Amino acid sequence: MTPRCERSYYAVSVVGADRPGIVAGISEALYRLGCNIADSSCAMLAGEFAMILIVSHPKPFTKANLLEELKPASERLGMTLAVRSLQTGEEQHRPPAGELCQITVYGADQPGIVYRVTSALAARQINIMDLHTKLVGSEEEPVYVMLLEATLPEDITPGHLEQLLASLRAELKVEIGIRVVTPVEL
Amino acid sequence: MAVQPILRYPHPLLKKLAHPVAGLDAEIRALLQDLIDTMRAGPGSVGVAAPQIGAALRICVVDVSKSRHGSENNHGLLCMVNPEIVARSGSAVMREGCMSVPDYTGDVERATEITVRFLDEQSDQVREVAASGFEAVAIQHELDHLDGILFLDRVVSITTGLFRRKSYR
Repeated sequence: MTPRCERSYYAVSVVGADRPGIVAGISEALYRLGCNIADSSCAMLAGEFAMILIVSHPKPFTKANLLEELKPASERLGMTLAVRSLQTGEEQHRPPAGELCQITVYGADQPGIVYRVTSALAARQINIMDLHTKLVGSEEEPVYVMLLEATLPEDITPGHLEQLLASLRAELKVEIGIRVVTPVEL
Repeated sequence: MAVQPILRYPHPLLKKLAHPVAGLDAEIRALLQDLIDTMRAGPGSVGVAAPQIGAALRICVVDVSKSRHGSENNHGLLCMVNPEIVARSGSAVMREGCMSVPDYTGDVERATEITVRFLDEQSDQVREVAASGFEAVAIQHELDHLDGILFLDRVVSITTGLFRRKSYR
C-alpha cells in the first residue's frame, strides 16, 4: 500500500432504511474507485442502518472524486451520505493513555439519562470511545440501558469515576456499574 | 542471549502447530533465554511463546510478577517446555492485546483457574503449577500460540449478547 503521507483520508457516513445489499453496494463503489476501507463500524438501530468508514485513496484524489461514484450508489440504495476530508495525521489519532472503563447504566426510562451521565464525564475530560443505548422492557415499564466505554485522563482513577457517578446514581435512581477493561498486553 | 524480533501476523508460523521438545539441551536453553530476554524487552510484556520468535517448538515463558494485574498472585518466572493444561475451571472475560497482532484488542473468555504441567527448565523435572487470575490468563494466551491460535480466534463480543433482541415493527 502507498505510504500514509501519500494518501488522502476521508470519514464517510451512510445512513438509511435497512435492506440487504447496503454494505455490498457502498463497498463496491469504494472498490471501483480504488479506495481502501481502513476502520469501519456499522450498526442497525430500529430499522435504520448506519455505516461509518475511514477510507483512503492514493493522491492526487479529491472529495469530489469520491462523491462522483459514492453519491449515485448511495442514492440508488436510498441512503443519506456525508463525507469529511481528514487533515494530514488525523487518521493516526491515538486516544489518551489512561484507564479504559466500561460503564453500564440502566433504570426506569426518563428524560436526560444520556445527557446527565455524559456531561458529568465531559466535565472531567473523560473521553467516550463507544456508546450504545437501548430502550427495553414493556410499554408500561420502559427500561433504558446504556453501555459505554470511556478513557480516563491519567489523573482520574476508576475510584474517582465511581465517586463522580455515585451522586447521579442516587439522583436518577438508576443502576451504574463500572468495570475497568484496559487491555492487557500478553 | 538476545532479544529477538517478535513475528507479526500474517507470518505463517503464528498459525502452525508447534512441535514437542525431546529434551533440554543447550539449544533449548538458549531459546528459553531468548524468550526471557524478548519478554523483558517488550514494554509491559508478561509472556512470549517460541513461535512468536520464529521457533515452531512447544516452549513459552510467562512472568506476571512485574505486572500490576499479577503482582500479588503469581509463581514468578515460569519457563515451560511442552506445557499442557491438565485442569481448568471458572471463566472470566478480559480484553487482550498481543505483540503479534498490534493495534487491535478484543474481549476473550478464559478459565480463571488452571493447572499447567510442563517440563521445568531449572529442575529438569515435570512440574505442575496451579495458577489463577491474570497469571492463568497469560498462561492460556501463551499456550494458544503453541497451537497456532491467536486471541483473534477467541474474541467474544459482549454487546451482541446484550443487544440482540430486535422487535420494533
